[in-house]
Amino acid sequence: MGDFKLTTVEEFEAATNRLLETGAKVGADAWQLRVKNQTPHCKFGEQGICCRICSMGPCRITPKAPRGICGCDAHGIVGRNYLKFTAGGAATHSDHGREICHTLYHAAADGAYKVKDPDKLIRIAKEWGVETEGKDIYDLAHEVAEMALMEYGKPFGYQRWLKRAPQHTQDLWEKAEIAPRAIDREVACSLHMTHMGCSSKPEALVRQSLRAGLCDGWGGSMCGTEFSDVLFGTPKPIDTEANLGVMNADNVNIVVHGHDPSLSEMVCEYADDPEMIAYAKSVGAKGITVSGVCCTSNEVAMRRGIPMAGNFLQQENVVLTGACEAIVVDVQCIFPALGPLSKCFHTKFITTSPVAQMPDSDYIRFDVGTAAEKAKQIVKMAIDNFQNRKPELVYIPDMKQKATVGYSVEAIVKTLDGVTNSQVDELGTTKPLIECITSGVIRGAVAMVGCNNPKIRPDYAHIELMKKLLANDIIVVASGCSAQAAAKAGLMDKSAKDLCGAGLKRVCELADIPPVLHMGSCVDISRMMILVSELAKDSGLNISQLPVVGCAPEWMSEKAVSIGNYVVSTGIDTFLGVDPYVSGSDQMGYWLTEGVRDWVEAAYTVETDIEKLVDKMIDRIEEKRAAIGI
Amino acid sequence: MTLFDRVFSGNDAVYGLTETAIDNAIAQYGADQAVAFPHTAYSLPCYYAVTGTKVSNLGELKEALGVVKTLMTREKRLNDAFMSGVATALCAEFIEVLKYINNETPYEEPCSGHLMDATIRELGVPLVTGDIPGVAVILGAAPTKEEAVELVKSYQAQGILVTLVGGVIDQCLEAGLNMGAAVRIIPLGRDVTSVIHVVSVAIRAALIFGNVTPGDAGNLMKYTFERVPAFVNAFAPLDDVIVACGAGAIALGFPVITNETENIFRVPKSLIVQEDVSRFNATSLEARDIKIKITKIDIPVSFASAFEGEIIRRG
Repeated sequence: MGDFKLTTVEEFEAATNRLLETGAKVGADAWQLRVKNQTPHCKFGEQGICCRICSMGPCRITPKAPRGICGCDAHGIVGRNYLKFTAGGAATHSDHGREICHTLYHAAADGAYKVKDPDKLIRIAKEWGVETEGKDIYDLAHEVAEMALMEYGKPFGYQRWLKRAPQHTQDLWEKAEIAPRAIDREVACSLHMTHMGCSSKPEALVRQSLRAGLCDGWGGSMCGTEFSDVLFGTPKPIDTEANLGVMNADNVNIVVHGHDPSLSEMVCEYADDPEMIAYAKSVGAKGITVSGVCCTSNEVAMRRGIPMAGNFLQQENVVLTGACEAIVVDVQCIFPALGPLSKCFHTKFITTSPVAQMPDSDYIRFDVGTAAEKAKQIVKMAIDNFQNRKPELVYIPDMKQKATVGYSVEAIVKTLDGVTNSQVDELGTTKPLIECITSGVIRGAVAMVGCNNPKIRPDYAHIELMKKLLANDIIVVASGCSAQAAAKAGLMDKSAKDLCGAGLKRVCELADIPPVLHMGSCVDISRMMILVSELAKDSGLNISQLPVVGCAPEWMSEKAVSIGNYVVSTGIDTFLGVDPYVSGSDQMGYWLTEGVRDWVEAAYTVETDIEKLVDKMIDRIEEKRAAIGI
Repeated sequence: MTLFDRVFSGNDAVYGLTETAIDNAIAQYGADQAVAFPHTAYSLPCYYAVTGTKVSNLGELKEALGVVKTLMTREKRLNDAFMSGVATALCAEFIEVLKYINNETPYEEPCSGHLMDATIRELGVPLVTGDIPGVAVILGAAPTKEEAVELVKSYQAQGILVTLVGGVIDQCLEAGLNMGAAVRIIPLGRDVTSVIHVVSVAIRAALIFGNVTPGDAGNLMKYTFERVPAFVNAFAPLDDVIVACGAGAIALGFPVITNETENIFRVPKSLIVQEDVSRFNATSLEARDIKIKITKIDIPVSFASAFEGEIIRRG
C-alpha cells in the first residue's frame, strides 16, 4: 500500500495546460486549438451520409434528397463509408505486419535483425506444418517469413492463423462467409465493393467489413505480433514507468513514436551503446533517455521496459516539454502537426518511412539493410541537437507512475501456472483464470483498447471505466493508447490492487500482477484473440459464452474500426464510446448492433454516455454469467 | 447454484439457527444472562476482533446479531461472499457461546471446545518460530477411518497442529489414535459450529502477537492471510453451511482443500479439489506455501516435535 496514489485526469490536464503556455509563447499550434477551429463538424459527415466516391457527387442525403445521383440511399452510403473505413484500418495493420515479415525474411545471424525467440519460431513453423528438424534457424525464419508473406496474396484458401480459433468459431466464419482469404484481397475486395455502382446493400457491406476486419486481426495483425516476438523476443513481465515525467531534463531525450518495432528496437539498441552514451556525455548531457509515444512505445515497453512518455493526444506535449532532442517516427497516428511544432523548438522531427512522409521533417529513410547505420545516425543526430536546446523553454511535468507490463499470452499462461497446485492442476493452460471466473471471484474480463479522441475528455473514459470495472472484480486487459492511459494513471502499478474489489484484489495478490494487464500495441490485440480462444478451448465454452467484452471508449482511427470488426467477429461483444459515423442509417445501425449477432454471436453497443457505457458492459458480463449458470 | 449462492444460502441457514437459539436463550434466561467463553480476555474473540465490541450478556448478543446481519450483503461479488463467510463464523461463535451458559463443560473428552488464552500463548511462540509450520483444520469424515488417521498422522509427523471437527474425530478415536494438545491433535467438537474454536485461535493470535486493533477487520484479515499458516481439509459431502464456513476461512487467507466433486467450483490457491485423500497433505502444504525442512531420520517410530508432550504410560 504505502503512499500509492493514482494520477488523475485533472492532473494530466493541468500539466498539459502548463505545456500549452510554453506553446503559446513560441507560437505553436496545438490539437486543442485545431479542434476548436473544426467545431462544429459537418453533420453529413458525422452521420456517414456524405458520399464522394465518384465525380457525379459529392452527394449528401437530406429529407429532400433521399438518394444520391446514382440512386444510392443513405443505407448504402453509410455502409460503403463504413466498409472503406474498415479497409483503411485493415490495410494499415496488415502493411505493418508485412514489414515485420519482410524484416524476418532478412534476419541473419550476423545482421542487425536476429531471431531472438527461436522457440516461438519453431512453434509457429510446426503449427504451419513446416519441417523444423535439423534446419538452421535462419533458414527456417526465411521459409516461415515467405509463407507469411504469401498470406497477403495467396490465390486460394483462408488465413492460416484461423486454425487457432475454436472449431465452433471457424464454423461460424465459414457459414457466414466471412472467413478471410488473402489479406490484400480482402482490402482490395472491400474497395471494389465500395466503388460506384457496386454494393449498396447494407448486409453485404457489413459482411465484407467483418471479413476485412478478420483479415487484419487473424491475418495482418497476428503476423505483426507473432513475428515481432520472434524477432525481438516474446514479452515477459517487466517494470517500467509512464507519463511525461519519464523524460529526463539532464539527458538527451529521444522519443520513438509510431508503430513498427523494427525502427524503435534499433534506436533503443544504439541509444544503449556505450559509445553513444559517451558521445552524449561529451556534449554535456548525462546520458540518453529513450521514451515512447503510442504503439511503438508499447512495443519497446513490453520487450525492453522503455518508459512510455504518453499516448496519442500527448504526442505534441512531448515536444512542448522543450527537452525533446528528436522525435523519431515511422508510420500511423503521427500528427503532421509535429512538423511545424518541432520548428518552434530545437526538436528534430525525423520521419523514416516512405509510407509516412511529412513536410517539415528530416527524412532518414529506414530499411532493413541499412537499419543499423540509420539508427546510429538518428541517435547521433539527436545527441548533436542537445546543445541547441533552449533552457528557458524546458519544462517536464514531474509526473510519472510505475507500471508492470509485458503480458503476452505466453506470460499470462506462465503467471497462471504460478497459482496452480502441482498435485491437482496441469501447467500451461488458462484454466486457473477460468476457475477464477466461473467461481465468481473475478466476474469477467474486459479488453480495453483504442485511441484518444478529442470528442471524449482525453483518457477520462479509459481510466474511469477501468476503475469501475476493477472495483467490480472485472479484470482488464489493455493495449494501445488505452493501456498507456492506464499506465499513466498508475493502474498498472501492482499497488493498484487496492482499488479492486475483494476478488480481483485477491487474484492480484496471489498471482502478483497489476489489475490492468498490458498486452501490448494495437496489432497485439491479436494476442487477446488468441487468449480468448484458449479460454474457450480450456473451458469447453464458445467464445461468445465467456463473460468477456471488448471496449474502445475513445476510439479514433480506421484501425480501431477494423479491430472492432474482428473482435465482434470473434464472438466478443464490443462497446464503443464514439459513434462510427453510422447514425445516418437505421439499417446499418441494426446490422451492427443486432444483425451480425446471427452470424458471429456478438455485436456492437454504441453508447456515448461514458458512465452508461461501463454499466452496460457490467450488465452484459452478468448476463453472460447467468446464461451459463455461474 | 453458483458458489456465491451456496455461501449466501449457508449463511442464511446458520443465521436463522443463531437467531432462534439466541431468542430461545433470552426466553429461558432473560436478556441479562451473562455469556462468556472460559479463560479468555477477548470476550467473544472473533466478534470482538472484527467489530471491536465486547459482548457480555444475551441482550448484547442479540444486538451483536444485528451487526452480523449488516455483513450479509447479497451482491454477487467476492467481498460479499467473504463477509457472509465471516458472518457465518460469527454466528457459529454465538451458537457456541450459548453452549457455555450455566454449563461449565459443554465439551467432554476428547473434544476441547473453546481453547483458553493460555493454550494460544503456548502455541503462539512455536507458530512464530516456525516450529509449528502450519495449522490443519480437518472437517467432516474421511472416506475411511484409515485415510483419516493416515492424514492426521502425516501432519503430526510434520509438526503441524491438527484440529478436528466432526466425523473425523470418531474415526480417529476408533483407530485408537492418541490425541490432545500435547501431541498437537486437538479434536474441537462434533458440530460444524465448533470449528470456530480454531478460528478463534487464529484471530487471538492476530490480537496477541500481531497487535491488531480490535475492530480493524482489514488488518485482521491481512495478518491471518500473511502470518497464520492455516488451511482447511473439508471432506465430502459439503453442505451449504460448510461452504459458507469455507468462505470465511478463505477470507482469512486459509485455503480449503476438499474431495468434494459435486456442485463445487474450483478457485486457484483457495478452493482446491483433490479427489485423492492421500494427497491432501501435499496439496494443502503447497496451497498454503508451507515448506517444511525435514531431516529424515531412519528410525522405527515417528519423530517430530509434536511428540514432545507425549506422556508414556506404564504398561
